[in-house]
Amino acid sequence: MLSPKRTKFRKQHRGKMDGVANRGNKISFGDYGLIALEPRWITARQIEAARIAMTRHIKRGGKVWIRIFPDKPYTQKPAETRQGKGKGNPEGWVAVVKTGAVMFEMSGVKRELAQEAMKLASSKLPIRTKFISRRDVE
Amino acid sequence: MKRQTLEAYNRTELKKGASGRLRRDGWIPAVIYGAHEPKSISVPQNEFEKKFHSVSENTIITLELGKEKHDVLVKDYQEDTIRGFTTHIDFFEIEKGKTLRTNIPVHVEGTPAGVKEGGLLEERLHEIEVECVPADIPEYFHLNVENLNIGDTIHVEDLDVPKGVKVLSLPEQVIVTVTTQKEELPEEGEEVEGEEALEGEEAEGEGEGEEGAEE
Repeated sequence: MLSPKRTKFRKQHRGKMDGVANRGNKISFGDYGLIALEPRWITARQIEAARIAMTRHIKRGGKVWIRIFPDKPYTQKPAETRQGKGKGNPEGWVAVVKTGAVMFEMSGVKRELAQEAMKLASSKLPIRTKFISRRDVE
Repeated sequence: MKRQTLEAYNRTELKKGASGRLRRDGWIPAVIYGAHEPKSISVPQNEFEKKFHSVSENTIITLELGKEKHDVLVKDYQEDTIRGFTTHIDFFEIEKGKTLRTNIPVHVEGTPAGVKEGGLLEERLHEIEVECVPADIPEYFHLNVENLNIGDTIHVEDLDVPKGVKVLSLPEQVIVTVTTQKEELPEEGEEVEGEEALEGEEAEGEGEGEEGAEE
């Protein structure tokens, strides 16, 4: 699974996800892409599950780019703990995805296959998504 | 070279509110600049989307603005990817005989020999920047990749450039290459691989006071 090699601080503030993505909102590498239609934290596990679903479906003969990286730690308090006593323990990593961000890209396959693969990947994610393609790709 | 015509209308009401109203009524606010004074115009959305999807940014479009006709290129455009439509277009008016810079798409044709052997064709560059007079603008660069084996590459310098066209992209830039494919992980059972990093590093510092602190 994806995670940073080292971090300066163990815990982070939760932050906000207002507005739409102004960066990473265009297809830059491949021919097809999957964009987020909702803002949400996407966990490293979800990214990995989506990647596996996609690559298994296209088998050999395509290239996949993952445009999001889970670089934010999220914390959880142990079960049955009273409130207070500080922030919980880091439990995993998430990528902060804003509306309009291109999460995955793909090339080297036919449109129908890419669309089907992205649909499978989308079902592993906790948000609504949309399949897009480069303007000059039919 | 492809040519298209598109009707356009002068836009008198400017700013955000008026542009929003235009978009809701099925128009795209646009601007023409280049040869003459900049002009605010609007073009019908349906017609533009239909035509622009099949052409590229190097297609000369004749804008019919009342009695006036302007030969333009699409210099830039803004789109709403979420809702899937163009929100604004920059048209660059061209002058006959004056050199201009534009991007020409690369059309890759054929299946490389390396792909049949299990390689992967990677297209690294989709457009080439060129400088030429409007009459010489090529529609696209045609690239036959059938003879490419695994490890072979086509660079910008290998392109067949028509007369009168000067390529501005770096000659050593890679356009397409055939690479070996990474073998995809074994079928089942690798899903359970993860969560190493976090667990490892957390284990050290934790456990003194926090976890079972209260009952």
